[in-house]
Amino acid sequence: MNLLLDVLSTAAMLYIVTAGLMMVFGVMKIVNFAHGAIITLGSYASFVVTRLGLDPWLGLPLALAVGAATGMAVEWLIVRPLYKRPLDAILATWGLGIVIGQAITIAFGREVQFVDSPVRGAVSFLGTEYSAYRLLLVPVALALCLALTALLNGTRFGVVTRAVIMNEDLAKGLGIHSERIRFATFSLGAGLGALAGALITPLSSVDPNMGLPWLISAFMLVMVSGHSMASLLLTCAIFGACQVLVSTYLSPVLGGVTIAVLAAVTLRIRPRGFAHE
Amino acid sequence: MNDAAASVLEDPQRRARVRRRGGELGLLALLCLALTVAGPWVFDTYLLNILIKALFFAVAAVTVDLLWGYTGYLTFGQSAFFGVGAYTAGLAFTHLGFSPGIALLSLLATLAIAAAVAALAGWLSFYRGASPFFATVISLVLPILLTQLALSGGTFTGSSSGLTGFETFDLSLEAWYVIAALLLSAVALAAWVVVRSDGGRLLAALRDNESRCAYLGIDTAALRIVVLVACGMVAGVAGFGYAAFSGVVAPELAGFVFGTELIIWVALGGRGTIWGPVVGTLAINVAASYLSGSMPFVWQLILGVAFIVVILLLPRGLLPLLLAPLRRRAAAAPLPGLAARPARPAAAGGPALHMRGVAKHFGSLKVLEGIDLDAAGGELLGLIGPNGAGKSTLMRCISDGAERSAGTVRLGGRDIGRGGPERCVRLGLGRKFQNANVFETLTVAESLRLAGTLHQRPSWLRRSPLLALPDYALEVLRTTGLDHKLGAVARDLSHGEQQALELAMVLALAPRVVLLDEPTAGLTKTERTQIGRVLLGLARTHGLCCLLVEHDLDFVAEISTRVVVLHQGRIVMQGSFEEVVASSLVREIYAGTAQAAVPQPAPSPLAGA
Repeated sequence: MNLLLDVLSTAAMLYIVTAGLMMVFGVMKIVNFAHGAIITLGSYASFVVTRLGLDPWLGLPLALAVGAATGMAVEWLIVRPLYKRPLDAILATWGLGIVIGQAITIAFGREVQFVDSPVRGAVSFLGTEYSAYRLLLVPVALALCLALTALLNGTRFGVVTRAVIMNEDLAKGLGIHSERIRFATFSLGAGLGALAGALITPLSSVDPNMGLPWLISAFMLVMVSGHSMASLLLTCAIFGACQVLVSTYLSPVLGGVTIAVLAAVTLRIRPRGFAHE
Repeated sequence: MNDAAASVLEDPQRRARVRRRGGELGLLALLCLALTVAGPWVFDTYLLNILIKALFFAVAAVTVDLLWGYTGYLTFGQSAFFGVGAYTAGLAFTHLGFSPGIALLSLLATLAIAAAVAALAGWLSFYRGASPFFATVISLVLPILLTQLALSGGTFTGSSSGLTGFETFDLSLEAWYVIAALLLSAVALAAWVVVRSDGGRLLAALRDNESRCAYLGIDTAALRIVVLVACGMVAGVAGFGYAAFSGVVAPELAGFVFGTELIIWVALGGRGTIWGPVVGTLAINVAASYLSGSMPFVWQLILGVAFIVVILLLPRGLLPLLLAPLRRRAAAAPLPGLAARPARPAAAGGPALHMRGVAKHFGSLKVLEGIDLDAAGGELLGLIGPNGAGKSTLMRCISDGAERSAGTVRLGGRDIGRGGPERCVRLGLGRKFQNANVFETLTVAESLRLAGTLHQRPSWLRRSPLLALPDYALEVLRTTGLDHKLGAVARDLSHGEQQALELAMVLALAPRVVLLDEPTAGLTKTERTQIGRVLLGLARTHGLCCLLVEHDLDFVAEISTRVVVLHQGRIVMQGSFEEVVASSLVREIYAGTAQAAVPQPAPSPLAGA
């Protein structure tokens, strides 16, 4: 039972972290290697809230705002000029990740820190005592999935976004400002990334490089899952389960690389991932 | 032709160019040697220590430059191979003790392990249809995986503190400097020679246009894996040297942070120049040794900002900028002389092209169905049909075995199976695309040599003074005047010239079947007449089978021996141009009323549509 809850909450964490990247990379096909640093920024936003002794819940909107603002600046300064040079965009956003990491180090020090959890203690769930906050992430992930699916499939913004992805020239011809759409999606993705950072910090610690392992897992998951929010949820569940099993029965160190290795092999055998049958 | 070849070899201008390039190599070698010998006298102990490590790093940086700057594979993972070398040395010396025999064995083991890891990483990263971005992500996974392995190795690998205090070579600092400097000189000079050779142009071609490489019969995935294996082995030796010198091995040596640093050094120094990364690595490491002590985080911050600025504004790095005033004096590559080589003998039996029951579906959408088509050498087939009839899809099904959903395709009597473009090309196919599909940064001569890769393996050491092409390819060059522009870079050619270059490249393959997608699109009237004459010559004089998709019906009328009409994914009619034009069916198709009429006398494939 404990194991099952571990799997569910791990999958939820993975999904929450990956959703922002899905918007940027899966949907808009923009590679943002600063996403890890943006996750870290979100974590430090909630750390600041803890430091100031405010209500831990306040960390979430603050992280969203910080992330979206950073996303806007990054899109404008780095992503847009390099839109035609995707490999260079990888490098420049990666360099930005280094800069953000160093700026955080200068501001907060390089040591590991902890933040307050908005929900404390454990709850009893089907006869098992389990961390309440971990469990809370499961409905949060589901809600996020529903909200993003609704946004992409049910709103005008979603339709326009999908039009830009499918055929940018045609979309432009129809009077859609594709640059504005990219800007909005990128900022939203960055905001979601930072929000994810704030959501997972109560479960892990905060340090200037914490975003990186998440970044790699997230990229792998997005590549395997294709471009639908629902298939991403499924992918997170399967790979999350593998990670938990390896961590529990083999070694936690190997568990950390399970997703990356499995996803690499999956993509080698099925280059188009899960989504396209 | 032999006279022409001989006169080329004696061309005084060419010989002067060859001599100047030879002189450059000698000069560089001398410079390397001077720095190697002078180092121990010039630098103090502290700086020597820093420099020796930096020299080993620079070897790894050169391999990153070869992979990224030349073949276009952005890798964060060269640190993994460096780490493999370092750990092999550290583990061997710690657990087996140090002796010259053990040292030699562990060096061999380094080469073997690095090669094996590179082959595995290459297999995961490079396959048909893999995006370059995917390869980059795999290159990130590799160092992380190795670091985790080192961390979970317990006392065997020393876990997070690594291995220290093992016995190693008993050499003075000065001796180590000379060894490291010689290793770097050797690697850099070898790399410099290779990238300037005919084989080196193959690497640039891979970066410029991988799909065109495949359509020239080059197995791009295998080539990339071989290059990665070679670079991995060199980086492994550098790591081995580093560990043997420093006596310290830590997981960071295999980590992605180091892999990223290598990228930064290469980017700042100048990707795609062998010396930029060398200078960048040495300069940044020396600067870091003085600055990072006094302001550790700020130094990293400055480096990060400099990196972003260079990527955004100076994608070629700092060295080319500094050397720009000297550039003009650098010797241009000597131009090869043109010569004829006998084309492949005509096909022995069997139609050049044979298709049975070929179909292509996208889910329930049928783009092609029941295509049976035969074509022999000497035929000029015009493939016509309205937009969306499946003409381009049919071309793709002939040139890539993975495209079709059902049916068989034989080229020269041999089944293409599920092989990719490179297999189809090896079976005698040549494909000319609609938009000029050439190598942007390569010259006309280099592009044509690449196209001959299947017939003559390019040298990895030098440039061949002769460029041998089938005589019909030479004819294209002469007709279009490209033979006087052998040194021009493809990017700078006019649209018509680029089209002619691509056609000449395709013909350099000495194909039996040539596919041409709208060969007259965007050409001037003169160019159109020229290409018509060339195609007629190919079929009549040389017995090639040409299949062209063409909207210009006058052009089809002028040259084709047979016209194939495609409509809604089926072949609805074949015959001479007059027959096709006279057919009421074809008129209905083009007038858009075919769906209503049940065509007679053709068996009515359209009736159900």
